[in-house]
Amino acid sequence: MKYFSKMKGTTHSPPKVGATEILWSWIGSFLGIALVAYINYEFLGDSDFLMIIGSFGASAVLIYGAIRSPLAQPRNLIGGHVLSAIIGVVFYQILSTEPWLASSLAVSTSIAVMHATKTLHPPGGATALIAIIGSDKIHSLGFLYVLVPVASGALVMLVVALLVNNIPSTRRYPEFWI
Amino acid sequence: MKPDSANVCIPVEISEDDIVEAMKAIPGYLDITTGDFKELYQAAFAHAVQRLTETVTVGDVMITNVVSADLHTPLKDVARLMAQKRVSGVPIVDEDGRVVGVVSETDFLSHMAGEGVRSFMEVIASCLTGSQCLAVPIEAMTAEGVMSSPAIVSSAHDSVFAAANTMFEKKINRLPVVGADRRMVGIVSRSDVLRYSLPKAVS
Repeated sequence: MKYFSKMKGTTHSPPKVGATEILWSWIGSFLGIALVAYINYEFLGDSDFLMIIGSFGASAVLIYGAIRSPLAQPRNLIGGHVLSAIIGVVFYQILSTEPWLASSLAVSTSIAVMHATKTLHPPGGATALIAIIGSDKIHSLGFLYVLVPVASGALVMLVVALLVNNIPSTRRYPEFWI
Repeated sequence: MKPDSANVCIPVEISEDDIVEAMKAIPGYLDITTGDFKELYQAAFAHAVQRLTETVTVGDVMITNVVSADLHTPLKDVARLMAQKRVSGVPIVDEDGRVVGVVSETDFLSHMAGEGVRSFMEVIASCLTGSQCLAVPIEAMTAEGVMSSPAIVSSAHDSVFAAANTMFEKKINRLPVVGADRRMVGIVSRSDVLRYSLPKAVS
């Protein structure tokens, strides 16, 4: 049946990257996460605010590890996170009593909106999901979640990406802004 | 088997190995599979071929300062003109500037060496074997006497592809380009088409 034959796959995995690329991916992501995590634990530790959420780990893979990908560009990083955060908080506010439904609606709607606005960024799906799953601290932020940690954390990571990714001669970032 | 028309499609046989080797030469992680790249490349290539063959016109590649001769120009002057300007053929125009024929090296040869002789090497072979060598005198003739007529012409709006096709099928090396009134506006030759078709150096 044609339906199942589509699952066979048609090609294979692309080639592995070189050691330089691996090294600079490591350096960039170490510095980017170190900065947002440092701000989070050292400055915001006892407050009601955070600077780091799980989806930033995913963004680090893209903006430090796959810097040529359209998914890793600034428009996608900022646009994807912000739109998904808004959508996540909206669905939490209207459907917190049915978290399974809020989760699925938040993630799928974020994906659709990111596609439609050309801001597709995989960690955006996580940002939307985290708005539903919590922690309680995140729930209590309400829409402020969109600014802190989402937009500000993403911006901090973007600055690190711009500064670090352009150091080696073999790399450049970004590919585009708009 | 030689194709009898220029309408052949050059297949783009890019292999997955070609793509893998190219990907390895680029330092970053390229977010595309070899299969998708191949598909994209072939579609883009076909698009480019279509664009280049159909949208570039004769007007875009033709030469406008054309070397031409009048109907009644004596042949020796035509020959001298062609030698001086280093062209292998000239369009022949009437008093109103309308293209009425073309004189080429082949026309000279076939009139000087006898009926049916159309190549330089046939003349050389004939001379070397001691038979009659450029025996037929044509000194007194004018362009009108040796020209190929009617001239096969092109228009500035034709695609370069169509012009190349015509040159290929009729086995000629140049096409005078004329307006609606058959007055000459330029000329396009095989070398103009070649120059246009050669890939530009990748910057």
